[in-house]
Amino acid sequence: MTGRFALAAFVVAFFGFILAPILVVVVISFTSAGYAAFPIPGWSLRWFLRIWEYEPFLDAMWTSTLVAVLSTLLSCLLAVPAALWLARTRKGWANAVSTFLLSPLSMPMIVIGFSSLFFMTAIGIGISFSALVLTHTVVCLPYVLRTVTAVYRSLPPAFEEAAAILGAGPVRAFREVTLPLIRPGIAAGALFSFLTSFDNLPVSFFFGSAQTNTLPVVMLSYIENQFDPSIAALSTLQLVLALVCLLVADRVYGIRKMMVAA
Amino acid sequence: MPMADLSRPPLRRRMPGWLPVLPAVLFLCAFFVLPLIDNAMRSFAGPDGGFGLHRYALLLTDRFNLGVIAETVILSSVVTVICALIGYPVAYYLVRHAGRWSGLIIFLLIAPLLTSIIMRTYGWQVLLARRGLVNNFLVQDLGLLDRPLQMLNTPGIAILALVHVLVPYMVLSIATVLQGIDQRLEEGAQMLGASPWRTFREVTLPLSLDGIGTGAILVFMIANGSFVTLVLLGGGFQTLPLLIYQQFTTTRDFGMASAMSVILLAIAMACLYLQLRLVRRQGV
Repeated sequence: MTGRFALAAFVVAFFGFILAPILVVVVISFTSAGYAAFPIPGWSLRWFLRIWEYEPFLDAMWTSTLVAVLSTLLSCLLAVPAALWLARTRKGWANAVSTFLLSPLSMPMIVIGFSSLFFMTAIGIGISFSALVLTHTVVCLPYVLRTVTAVYRSLPPAFEEAAAILGAGPVRAFREVTLPLIRPGIAAGALFSFLTSFDNLPVSFFFGSAQTNTLPVVMLSYIENQFDPSIAALSTLQLVLALVCLLVADRVYGIRKMMVAA
Repeated sequence: MPMADLSRPPLRRRMPGWLPVLPAVLFLCAFFVLPLIDNAMRSFAGPDGGFGLHRYALLLTDRFNLGVIAETVILSSVVTVICALIGYPVAYYLVRHAGRWSGLIIFLLIAPLLTSIIMRTYGWQVLLARRGLVNNFLVQDLGLLDRPLQMLNTPGIAILALVHVLVPYMVLSIATVLQGIDQRLEEGAQMLGASPWRTFREVTLPLSLDGIGTGAILVFMIANGSFVTLVLLGGGFQTLPLLIYQQFTTTRDFGMASAMSVILLAIAMACLYLQLRLVRRQGV
């Protein structure tokens, strides 16, 4: 019994360690002071106002959102059909294809970003918004593929067979039977993809220009020069966004299944 | 009874079945594989425009560069081992004792993965600053020290921050495997007179080694490529990703950065290969 108590205490300490730096930043984002220190002397919302007034942050937030939405959409368009096929096929080489499609997750992102920058310049896309979206899609696609494959594999083929027997064409069967059934997988994958893109620094870092500066890139260059609490306020906003996404994913997909997705 | 789907040729017969997978494969070939090939070719470009191995000769013989490669691997290994040691008990608790709390624990493990890396390093910078919370606690409240500790820009803190970022992956990997262990095996061992500790050591731990393996490869792989934490928290490490970052921002020797990328990529591929072998053995 003492062993179990010690284990529980260890787990509590572990989460103290995990949550401490995050909670500290959340508290600092509400500081009334002009510097980042903990504990804070008083509460205020001035740093959230500062974000609204500081144009580079707003521009970067807009860029990040746009990049994340577009690369997630593109990821879904590419990954969903692939996942449907991979989940049902019995072809021997399907495993290799699946490994290949998931492999961007295993490659160092700094290498993907660095290589992509030169490649995009060579083929004439250059340091542009489209280059950023395309490269983010490389990193985001595997998340959608993984969750949709997992959901579709767990469904018996009988649903679609029934639709076919009842006379539905392949398009109708997909729209009215398959799509609603795999929607949780798409939603969870899309949320992960969105957050991955929104938070991505190692890839976006290489595409620095006025149209392509994403929020993490702007935050990185800001934090290298100044240490005021506006970074804390931005981080807190981003955390709220992530938590909302995670709660939605839990509702539609189930948090226990996300152990595999993360 | 005539079946409706026989009345017209199914779509599948008109086009190859693997067509749905084609766009994704082509996309990744174009924007993932080609850039990496292009990058490798840049690293092999000779000084006169031909083929040259001089960058690799420099990377693999020069003392400093070899040191960097070694440091990358050692730092990642240290981080991986610490993650396994800390992560195992948490994974064990999550699977065996958490009960209705398990949802919350998984939430608390995944949520940090979705917070920005900048946020977490910022948090450490505040907590560990010269007049930060930790130093104030040690000096003023406990009176353990008479002067604040220099904690930022030390190797220990960089390792701590990396462990903080990566340990959730380890916990989730181990927990997935622990969940699949037939608990009757443990009950059997206990019924035959083994103590809880011996049961753990001789039954549970060996059965969960695959989870530690998957988690270790995953953590090692991500640690190998991470540089933001090291850029912001310092620690004096010289690792491959950090050097690539510096080559890009200051030295601007892109050929050399490409060669370093190829080496980093080779390590990642080796990890991926190990990962696949492990997953195949688990029969997933």
